[in-house]
Amino acid sequence: MGHDAHAEPEKKPGKLGLLGKAYLPAIAQGLLHTLGHIVKWDHNTLNYPDEKRAPFPGYRGEHRLTRDEQGREKCVACFMCSTVCPAHCIEIVAEEAPWPDREKRPKIFNIDMMRCIYCGMCEWACPCEAIELTEVFNIPVRTRAEKIYDKERLLSN
Amino acid sequence: MSDSGAGMVSWVLNGDPVESPAGMTILEAAKAHGAELPHFCYHPGLSIAGNCRICLVETNRSPKPAISCSERISDGLEVQTHSEKAVEAREGVMEFQLINHPLDCPVCDKAGECTLQDYSFDHGPDESRFVEKKNIRHTKDLGPTIKIWGNRCIVCTRCIRFCDEISGTGELCVVARGDRSVVDVFPGIPIDNPLAGNVVDICPVGALISKDFMFQSRVWNNEHTETVCGGCARGCNVTVETNEGFVKRLMPRENTDVNDWWMCDFGRYGWRYAHDDRRVSVPRRGAEAVETELEAHRDLGELVRGAWGGSKKVAIVVDPFLTCEEAHLVGRVAAGTGATVGGWLPPSGDELTFPGKFKISGEKCPNRRGVEAVLGQEVFGSQAKAVESMLNSGGVDLVIVFAGFPNADCPDALASAVGKATARVAFTLFDGAWSEAADLVLPSASVFEKEGTYVNEDGRLQRVRSKDRPGDAQLAQPGLHSASISSPWVTSELVALQRALVHVGDAERSLSAAGVFRQLADSNEHFKGQSHRGIPATGVPLGGLAPAGVGEGSES
Ligand code: SF4
Ligand code: SF4
Ligand code: SF4
Ligand code: SF4
Ligand code: FES
Repeated sequence: MGHDAHAEPEKKPGKLGLLGKAYLPAIAQGLLHTLGHIVKWDHNTLNYPDEKRAPFPGYRGEHRLTRDEQGREKCVACFMCSTVCPAHCIEIVAEEAPWPDREKRPKIFNIDMMRCIYCGMCEWACPCEAIELTEVFNIPVRTRAEKIYDKERLLSN
Repeated sequence: MSDSGAGMVSWVLNGDPVESPAGMTILEAAKAHGAELPHFCYHPGLSIAGNCRICLVETNRSPKPAISCSERISDGLEVQTHSEKAVEAREGVMEFQLINHPLDCPVCDKAGECTLQDYSFDHGPDESRFVEKKNIRHTKDLGPTIKIWGNRCIVCTRCIRFCDEISGTGELCVVARGDRSVVDVFPGIPIDNPLAGNVVDICPVGALISKDFMFQSRVWNNEHTETVCGGCARGCNVTVETNEGFVKRLMPRENTDVNDWWMCDFGRYGWRYAHDDRRVSVPRRGAEAVETELEAHRDLGELVRGAWGGSKKVAIVVDPFLTCEEAHLVGRVAAGTGATVGGWLPPSGDELTFPGKFKISGEKCPNRRGVEAVLGQEVFGSQAKAVESMLNSGGVDLVIVFAGFPNADCPDALASAVGKATARVAFTLFDGAWSEAADLVLPSASVFEKEGTYVNEDGRLQRVRSKDRPGDAQLAQPGLHSASISSPWVTSELVALQRALVHVGDAERSLSAAGVFRQLADSNEHFKGQSHRGIPATGVPLGGLAPAGVGEGSES
């Protein structure tokens, strides 16, 4: 017995009778329970992937690099996202932008989606609203290399 | 006050009575007592301009706040650096500094080391009250290496004073008036003096940008290694900034005995050879690569063992890029084999002295004096001739060549002389006539991959460091490559020579650079009493080498 006065008294395993030892009544009970649910049709599972659940607001899925009104990436390669990223999974190489109104843009922008912990800090840190987490979560791939998303892939998400 | 010592001034800093040498400005004296004051236009190496007003403090001498960078301390002066009045004054200045500033920190290369950013964080308002349109000023090239973002300029004139006072070239000036004023060059005269890169360092904001470093990395991602420049015998103190093993830029490090706060562009931009694809990175026997470095070092050991005891005719050609430690090991090999040691210097450049006292040496290598002091002979003088005639007359059994010349600018004499020996070993950075005919080619380490010491033209002993310390790291785990600045990986001469000496039986085990230096300090009078740990960040003059009046004298 525990020292705690309020502790529940320990349950002693009861002696099983012959019926109990056969387990059959318990199995039948379980099957009946399942059958009950089938009849009532109140199951919670979805027929994924044919049916999809609408993500909750603020769901953090795969990233997207956003575009400005002229269709160019908004990203200015400031490295804020890669600096804040706790998983160190953003790799950026900057270059001079070819446009007169912008100085810098990413030449390479890679996210290692397998290292990413989908924390959303990159989205928070971005001063240009250039990166955001979408509701996309179900992109299976065949090789690990495909899960390192480059700029084009992120722009098309 | 008569009770203060000779040349000392008693004054009051934030309520505490303090003493400082007469003639100091409030800003300098306060800093010496641990109270850092913000400043843009003040720079310890330049004249006082007093135009930015961010250094305002409250004093008992005037009702208005005073600029601490130009106001000198005097007896009885009372200074408040953080009184309400002082802080309010600085906040006002900060607000004015920011009204026309574009605040484009995300794309500004200075972000992370920008004083405007720092002070705005400390003193600036949260929000701008400036609703009018900001001024647009020019963004353009000022010279082959420098670009200006005029919008960011706070017109502190540091860059202009540098060109007037230190380089003496005066290319920069302020154009336009009022809030439209901005730095520019005179028409048709770009800023291209040999010290131009320094204006980028001293620009407190991101107005002046080095095109070499532009967009290359964010400064907070860089790792810093305090070392010396290998560009010339001056041995400027520098910080090498690397990112993931790649050099991003070199920045001068303050050393008032050598380079003050500056460095030259030749040294600053002269690091690319370390990442050159043509670098020799794997050891070879003739044209065929050797599987492991250990094997190649054993080959070297075997050759040295064959010549041990003076039975063969051996020549060693050294380069002035070897560290003192490496030279010491060369000395041991030479002593064991009875070798003749000589060497060549790279082609010399112009010796330049600037109005600001900054000097560039004509000797384009960092350690001639060190190698000669260690080996105890004029290896690059009279010995060069001796080795040359020995090699040219033929009959040399083994020649070991060190050709760590950046950009493959090896002296011609070296290239033509080495081909005539029976067995040839070449340590080299780049392939050339000296290595193509060699039986064993070993990669040299660049200045950025070496660990040890250099002696500059004034006889000052200074530490050379590499980020990954190939020498030390590799010795800790024999057989493992150490990641170095360039890829693939390079092991320094320090390691190769020690492995050879172990193979011969002359050494029990390989040591770190500090360990080899200890041996050197025990055996060489110039280096007596020195140790790696004992060398200050700014170096130390060596006994018997430093000319009179340089530094404080040796510790031996
Ligand atoms: S979601 Fe988090 S872990 Fe993933 S890239 Fe962004 S910051 Fe990094
Ligand atoms: S924080 Fe935004 S703008 Fe900056 S590099 Fe990341 S995505 Fe680009
Ligand atoms: S360019 Fe930089 S150093 Fe020159 S005046 Fe402007 S802010 Fe000062
Ligand atoms: S003066 Fe010499 S040591 Fe100094 S930065 Fe230039 S090359 Fe390097
Ligand atoms: S630092 Fe004193 S006025 Fe600029």
